[in-house]
Amino acid sequence: MSIRVEFYGIPRHRTGVATTTVEIAGATALLIDVVRRLSDRFPSLARDCFDQDGLRDGFAANVNGERFVSDASTPLVDGSCLLILSADAGG
Amino acid sequence: MQKDRADPNLTPSTIEHRHIPGGYHGNYLSVNLGPDDQTPVTARRVPLDASVLRSFLGGSGLGTWLLLEHGSATCDPLSSEAAIAFVFSPLVGSPLTTSAKFAVVSKSPLTDRINDSMASSGFAITGKGVGCDALVVTGMAASPSILVIDQDDVRLEPAESLWGATCSDTQRQLTAHFSSGWQFAVIGPAGERLVRYATISHDSRHAGRGGSGAVLGAKNIKAIAVRGTQTCQWAAPDALLQLAKAMSKKSTGPATEKYRELGTATNVLLFNRLNTLPTHNFQQGHFEAAAALSPESMSIARKRTRAYCAACTIGCEHLYALSDQEGTDSVRLEYENLFALGPLCGVGDPDVVLTASRRCDELGIDTISAGGTIAFAMECVQRGQLDQPWLRFGDGAALLRAIELIGAGEGFGRELAKGSRRLAESIGGDSIQFAAQVKGLELPGYEPRSLQTMALGLAVGTRGADHNRSGAYEIDFSQQADRHNLVPATAALAIDTEDKAALIDSLILCRFLRGIFTDFYGEAADMLNLVTGWETTADELKEVSRRIITTKKWFNILAGWTPVEDTLPARFLNQPLPDDPAAQLDIQQLSAAICMYNEQRGWSPEGWIDRQHLEDFGLACFDRRAMDH
Repeated sequence: MSIRVEFYGIPRHRTGVATTTVEIAGATALLIDVVRRLSDRFPSLARDCFDQDGLRDGFAANVNGERFVSDASTPLVDGSCLLILSADAGG
Repeated sequence: MQKDRADPNLTPSTIEHRHIPGGYHGNYLSVNLGPDDQTPVTARRVPLDASVLRSFLGGSGLGTWLLLEHGSATCDPLSSEAAIAFVFSPLVGSPLTTSAKFAVVSKSPLTDRINDSMASSGFAITGKGVGCDALVVTGMAASPSILVIDQDDVRLEPAESLWGATCSDTQRQLTAHFSSGWQFAVIGPAGERLVRYATISHDSRHAGRGGSGAVLGAKNIKAIAVRGTQTCQWAAPDALLQLAKAMSKKSTGPATEKYRELGTATNVLLFNRLNTLPTHNFQQGHFEAAAALSPESMSIARKRTRAYCAACTIGCEHLYALSDQEGTDSVRLEYENLFALGPLCGVGDPDVVLTASRRCDELGIDTISAGGTIAFAMECVQRGQLDQPWLRFGDGAALLRAIELIGAGEGFGRELAKGSRRLAESIGGDSIQFAAQVKGLELPGYEPRSLQTMALGLAVGTRGADHNRSGAYEIDFSQQADRHNLVPATAALAIDTEDKAALIDSLILCRFLRGIFTDFYGEAADMLNLVTGWETTADELKEVSRRIITTKKWFNILAGWTPVEDTLPARFLNQPLPDDPAAQLDIQQLSAAICMYNEQRGWSPEGWIDRQHLEDFGLACFDRRAMDH
């Protein structure tokens, strides 16, 4: 299955890219699976935005521009778009 | 320079014998400018009871109490009798990071409701150094003046030569005129001309929303100059220093990374992706040219620098050069001025947005209300309801011209200077339905149909549509709520963000610190106890927050508030956001959430406060006083 990932705020600053695609075997995957793949690809994300349980405080994930999720066991289906972002929106 | 001397009787012997908590001077300086040439400025120190300080702390909370004390709820905010308070806090001057802040509190000439706006830096430290916890100014100078407060010497100096000068020029000229050790709060031409959303500026930062600059301008005060070196005792200085070091360390950690590295303007791309970037006067939530306005793009094309407020370790301010040429001016850019002067007006040229932002700062105009009012007028032109054919969405030259007209008080600028609600009343027809304001205050950059907990926060805010007094958007950007489906249960979450903001604005600390706390109320209690010597608790501070919110609401009720004010314009109700059909908010949904909000605050379902509640919070006395006034 294929998950499109978009980065905003600090995650984009760390990776240096706006988007990437994560391929995972099987029909479904969990949020933590995507986080681990991204950690392998972008060590700066692993260092500053993620921890072993998923996203660190101060970061959030959103599925398809709709639902915000933080539970690492959130299931994702093929074709999902995952947004990884800095959580605080104030300005 | 001829000087108009104050009453020298400033030393209150009563204060010396009272117990004053650490961090406080135990008094406020009441300055009356006098109604005419024959009456000199008078100043006196008024003792503040320790119970008042513990109940309202400082900043926004104490300022609202002071306004009620002065009977300002029932005044015309631009009249001589109206009070404007510059309020410090027990933490000002302490080693705690971001504590150099002051609140400007008055009745708003834009909303005719309570207004409190925050600014930072040296004016807070030096103003408190005068030896008071707040300055309260009433009366009206006979001619343009500088209010000079030099410890116990309070006087007026002529300001004719400064009248018409921009905020930055005024600051520069005052710095050159006075010797070192002075700090200044100034207004620009917009404040002089009573633009209803004029700001008060200090060191290029602005107490921005609600028109406090016009309140000062109506008093003929171009600037307040303060000098003072009095300090307060801290109850536990060694422990306070240790706490301050720990806080400073946390303040440079992950919780503030976004503010430090990118600034608030980085919201643009995400908000655009989520269809919550207000565009063309809230006709859309997505702006095609958003990418060009993002800090990610702008920092490639132009030099970017960072700046810090005094006593701050975060450094959230990002300044962008106006062009790619060396030595050009830099402009402070935040998400709110970017959205209001960019997508909201359909403008996608970064040079125009930066120039517009700079001109608003120079003229002393709130960028959100300026952009909101201009965008509203642009839509009226688009619909054929306003005969100003030059004022078109996407026309950067028109945006800049409109800002100049507002500042100069010329032509159509005089209408724009009134804000979108008054402009809609003047245009008539159905225009009020798409004037994006609540209580007269223009909406910040959060589309309420796609951020529906924020919709509730905007509707019930005592200051009007506001993103600083309510942080309800945080709920929308989390798993705690469905941002497309407002339900009554969400009211408790919105209340929680409002309560925390009330405490932050009264302590006063920077709200960008909020992410560093794991137990906000408990840690706030620790800070206060080390400064004041109190033994306050998290529960007591939660009660203080609720008291402050209720006090603001009570001010508004005395000023004429009715439940119909707590809503959103018709544009946001019962019709989806065109580019996001899932973003639809029904009036019944909003009404149910407002009802739940009011009940959870302990008010009636409509939002009235009962007598018992007022007495519990010590507010009942203000009823009689407001009526007497």
